[in-house]
Amino acid sequence: MARIVNIALNTFRESIRGKLLYIALVFGAVMIISTYILSPLSVGAAKDKIITDVGLAFISFFGVMTAVVTGSTLVYKEIDKRAVYMVLTRPVSRLEYLVGKFLGIMAVLVLMVAIMSVLMGIVVVLGGGSLTGGILAAIFLSILEMAVICSIVLFFSTFTTPALSFFFTLCFFVAGSLSGDLRVFAQKFGSGTMKFIMDVFYYVLPNLRLFNLRNEAVHQVAIQYSDILLTTVYAVVYCAVIIYFSYLVFRKREFV
Amino acid sequence: MDILSVENIRKSFRNNFSFGKYEVLHDVSFFAGEGEILGFLGPNGAGKTTIIKIIMGLIKPDSGSVRILGGPVSDRETKRVIGFLPENPFFYPHLTLGEFLIFCAKMSGMKGKSLGSRIESVIEQVGLAGQKEKRLSGFSKGMTQRAGLAQAVLHDPDLLILDEPFSGLDPLGRKIIRDFLLELKARGKTIFFSSHILSDMEALCDSAYIIREGVIVRHVGLDEVFKMGEGKVEITARGYPLGLDGEIGKFINSEERLGGETFIVVNRQEYVRSVIQHLLNNGADILKVVGVKSTLEEIFVNEIGLQVTESKNGFMGKKKVAERKEKIWQG
Repeated sequence: MARIVNIALNTFRESIRGKLLYIALVFGAVMIISTYILSPLSVGAAKDKIITDVGLAFISFFGVMTAVVTGSTLVYKEIDKRAVYMVLTRPVSRLEYLVGKFLGIMAVLVLMVAIMSVLMGIVVVLGGGSLTGGILAAIFLSILEMAVICSIVLFFSTFTTPALSFFFTLCFFVAGSLSGDLRVFAQKFGSGTMKFIMDVFYYVLPNLRLFNLRNEAVHQVAIQYSDILLTTVYAVVYCAVIIYFSYLVFRKREFV
Repeated sequence: MDILSVENIRKSFRNNFSFGKYEVLHDVSFFAGEGEILGFLGPNGAGKTTIIKIIMGLIKPDSGSVRILGGPVSDRETKRVIGFLPENPFFYPHLTLGEFLIFCAKMSGMKGKSLGSRIESVIEQVGLAGQKEKRLSGFSKGMTQRAGLAQAVLHDPDLLILDEPFSGLDPLGRKIIRDFLLELKARGKTIFFSSHILSDMEALCDSAYIIREGVIVRHVGLDEVFKMGEGKVEITARGYPLGLDGEIGKFINSEERLGGETFIVVNRQEYVRSVIQHLLNNGADILKVVGVKSTLEEIFVNEIGLQVTESKNGFMGKKKVAERKEKIWQG
């Protein structure tokens, strides 16, 4: 466990000293603040609801993008530049290395989301709204969504280039966001084969719709905390399975 | 017991442009005992780095085995007793040297109060005193190399595997590292390293393995190297044409002209007086008479497939040696 924590801390330290996090943070902050400036232009909706809706969407978008970019480059770069030799030639297993990397990236994402959330909270309060439990729950589920995306990008980065990892993960992200809708569509109108294929997609791809609680947060719909607990368990299990698959690929990898 | 035992290693890689494979290591075996410094010598592409990566468990061999202190390298306990410096190392650029070494120490299972003092001491030993707070991104190639050595020895391993440890070091840096490695040897540590710098290898190694195209072609003890040159004497003369033949020719190992000077290598010391007398009688000026010391370089050039037989008696000229050596290193 100490080795995993050490790798995670090192990944966190390396990442927060790089430029990528700051670029993502600045963009995120600018976007969130701009909702405060632009919200009076909207028609027919309360200002605080627009700020909350757009703010949560930006947090999710920048978080997922940072997860994909960081995850796709980090492991690849360490392998390509041979920094990984320093770790794997010590008494550390390849699974510990991957778990450490995953937790390190997640620590960076949590920090980033925390900063953007504080900014959004300030903007929401200035816009006349208040921070509700629903908003916090939506932010929490966004972090879980980032964890799932991070595990997927880590899986791809163990055997392919950053560009392909980025592309494949985005495909997973889009398909995972739509898999529920596609399944319903296939059940209603599709043939038997189509139904089967959509069922397979539905169970293999992450169901990212589960992590989207933004509408409920904006319209202050009552949130079932048992659903949040179940979604958390789903995210943890999904991440664990994907990281294990990453390990199965990574343990066979030769560093030529 | 051997500290390092590499037995019958074979390794092939997939060909990029076809479905075939090509073998890069053919039945490679060697051993290193306690307190021994072992060199690994070969031209580019001979398989040195591949065998080092196999020893470190970064590549799996097709067949054969590597054992370190009797255990396989995949064992955690085995990994604890190895220190490794890869070729052209790259470290986390945003970390300071101190942070990097703490990270490495913890990854090797080190902890406790003595960690700080151990790091300070290693930093000093590799000649990086005063650089602990500096970020690795600001390090020169030589400093990175020293940082690499520091992380390799930090946990006081019994076996050090170093891939081109002198690459990028200035002469002072090379001396510091050479002295440091000799100190480790005196403490009973086993060191296995590859290098292109033959003088460093001569200064450090007990013996060296020469590898060519994935095959160990020779294991040479450094004592053997020095003995090989014993007895030969080189005479530098001016004002004398090439062509010592007849009776006196039997005493000559090689003869070569470079600029206005003729270099004559005499087989044995007892013939030197006769040869000098002959040269003087024929109007030559004797400029220098020195004993010939054989070098690892000569053996290396010989073993890499270039016959050191250019002149009639089997000694290649200085110019030719330099040309051929260059070809080998480029090749």
